[in-house]
Amino acid sequence: MYDVCIIGSGAGGSPIAYELSNAGFKVVVLEKGKLYDESTFNKDEIAVCRRDMFTPPLGEQKHIINEYSPSGKITRYDGEKSGWSFWNGSMVGGSSNLMSGYFHRMKPNDFKLLSAYGKIKGANVVDWCISYETLEPYYEKVEKVIGVSGKIVKHKYQEPRSTPDFPYPMLETNGVTKWFDVACEKLKFTPIPTPRAILSMNALGRNGCYYSNFCGSYGCASGAKGSARAALLQKCKAKVITDAFVYKLDAKDGKVVRAHYYTKHKIPHMINAKIFVLSAQAIESSRLLLNSKSKEFPNGLANSSGELGKNLIFSAGGSGSGRFIFEKLTKEQQKELMQAGLFFNRSLQGWYEYTDGGKTYKGGTIDFLFEHQNLISRVNREIYDDEGNLLWGDKLAEKIDKTLTTSRVLTFEVFNDWLPTDHCNVAVDEKETDMWGVPVGVINLNSHPQDLEVGEYLAKHAVEVLKQMGAVEIDSSISSSPPPNLVAGGCRFGNDPKTSVLDKNCKAHDLDNLYVTDASFMPTGGSVPYTWTIYANSFRVADIIKKELLLV
Amino acid sequence: MSFTNRRNFLKAGVLSSAVVIMSGCSVFGITTTRNTIKVLENDLFPKANELGIDTADYISIILRHPRVTQEDKRFLKNGAKWLNETSVEMFQKQYTKLSFEKRQLILKNITSTEWGNSWCSTVLGYTFEAAFGDPIYGGNNKEAGWKWLAFEGGKPRPTEVYL
Repeated sequence: MYDVCIIGSGAGGSPIAYELSNAGFKVVVLEKGKLYDESTFNKDEIAVCRRDMFTPPLGEQKHIINEYSPSGKITRYDGEKSGWSFWNGSMVGGSSNLMSGYFHRMKPNDFKLLSAYGKIKGANVVDWCISYETLEPYYEKVEKVIGVSGKIVKHKYQEPRSTPDFPYPMLETNGVTKWFDVACEKLKFTPIPTPRAILSMNALGRNGCYYSNFCGSYGCASGAKGSARAALLQKCKAKVITDAFVYKLDAKDGKVVRAHYYTKHKIPHMINAKIFVLSAQAIESSRLLLNSKSKEFPNGLANSSGELGKNLIFSAGGSGSGRFIFEKLTKEQQKELMQAGLFFNRSLQGWYEYTDGGKTYKGGTIDFLFEHQNLISRVNREIYDDEGNLLWGDKLAEKIDKTLTTSRVLTFEVFNDWLPTDHCNVAVDEKETDMWGVPVGVINLNSHPQDLEVGEYLAKHAVEVLKQMGAVEIDSSISSSPPPNLVAGGCRFGNDPKTSVLDKNCKAHDLDNLYVTDASFMPTGGSVPYTWTIYANSFRVADIIKKELLLV
Repeated sequence: MSFTNRRNFLKAGVLSSAVVIMSGCSVFGITTTRNTIKVLENDLFPKANELGIDTADYISIILRHPRVTQEDKRFLKNGAKWLNETSVEMFQKQYTKLSFEKRQLILKNITSTEWGNSWCSTVLGYTFEAAFGDPIYGGNNKEAGWKWLAFEGGKPRPTEVYL
């Protein structure tokens, strides 16, 4: 029998696999997707971004999505018919293979949103049951084990650190970052070199970044990106079984006893283990537990509280952009602008907390980056004229040529809290099933009005920077559309078994040996991308499980 | 007829790579999706031809690609049919047999409709995939599309076509 069975091989599961197998325990990881690695990753835009090779076809696996409007109207979308996909990386290492690796820690106040900022009408805001201080050593561990590069710059909301700086120096940046820094100085903003989960040098048995120009959405062919696969699974002896879709967990006498899984050809298998760790990404983890109902757990496994699937959150915010055109630049600046491969890597956190109209708000983070260099996508954006008419022939070719060879777009992304609400949650559909005949997940979507207000406030400052830099065609779009790669909640952790699914160790209140270690545990998400926090928390839980196994 | 109705109406039809062109209730002629789209692609984006890039064969990959939905494939084929039917209505000839000037008039006509605008932008999208995707897919001859836009393809390059 295995000591530990982990379901899902992404950022939530792999730290457990790494720590426990390296400590001598027998660990198995069940992964629905295939194995891709440095030898098979490439930069094929058609395969990766146009045919979505790393996510399941929606005709085989989908979600049902219910969108709540402020008026209370619900619009239902069938994922297959609408093409609305909530899948990320279905592969060994999960979506961490495809991340851009923008790594920010959550701030101390993110762990106590209720205490620090008070109740918000219509939002289920609570404090976390652990503090920043509890997680800090694990944030540091991630810097070292996953590999985070950057440079600490003192600013108002710099979180406390146990080490003075990152273990790996900053990645190389494009010359335009100098324009950004000058603009920020004039505006009295503090630019922060964006920390990245990308090795800037050969280390940890992996190659440093080779500046391929195609980072986000693509697998890394050098191993520099700190994916769960490259940094952890390839550095440990945990057994990884691919093509293993776990559809049910059996529980008896307060313990999970086995996991059932199908191969893609629907051949059923099962695995027994002493401890089970669920990390299939927030929506799918809740779905599996809801689909694992039994006589003992009629409302779904680990759901005596009725809280399973509730308080699903995303990262709120949006994005914006500005274009730099040759006509306004010197020859030298034109050359700097078009320099390919190097990163932009600048962030602003000066409004992580702000006061507006006499009220103090939790704000967020703004990351700046160049427009993705995918050529087909960029060309496709040029097919309409300013009046929205379709262009073709020579006019179209001229527009493509001018836009792509004499200008470049700098974009920004805003990250702020997606406040948890009653209408944003995960359920399972009573009729619709996937290719294995298993009920599909239902994603009920709702956003709180404050999410948009905060996002707009932050975007306003990003726009100021773009204006100061001399960009044209400046645009921003803050919306309540959920980013499928930034999802959390559904198995909230807390001290009270009546109001939470997991305890402070991320173990199910109802079961002695079931842990959930993807982003499901998060009651609130902070105003940063989640991956660093998922990694850190999973390392924390790995220590807890290790102690438990040593006691057995 | 709106794009949605026309699309839905033809969803139930029997489809093949042969496109039957109707004129009223009579069969006007038969052509193929590939032939129609080949001429159309050159009208929409003649730059590819100038660069020595053949984008026509790529449509055959799309029409059999398991990752392209049946509905999208149907739309590609139906669009070719509707384009030809519009040609017959306006000039009593298939699109591929019209002069350049008349084809331009057809394009102006159909891009003012919802289906025509959507279909032409879809065809353009696949044309761009052929012209600016990795040369392994058969288009982007000697990286001519990339060179035109001073673009360097990401590395490593794919060693096989993703089908």
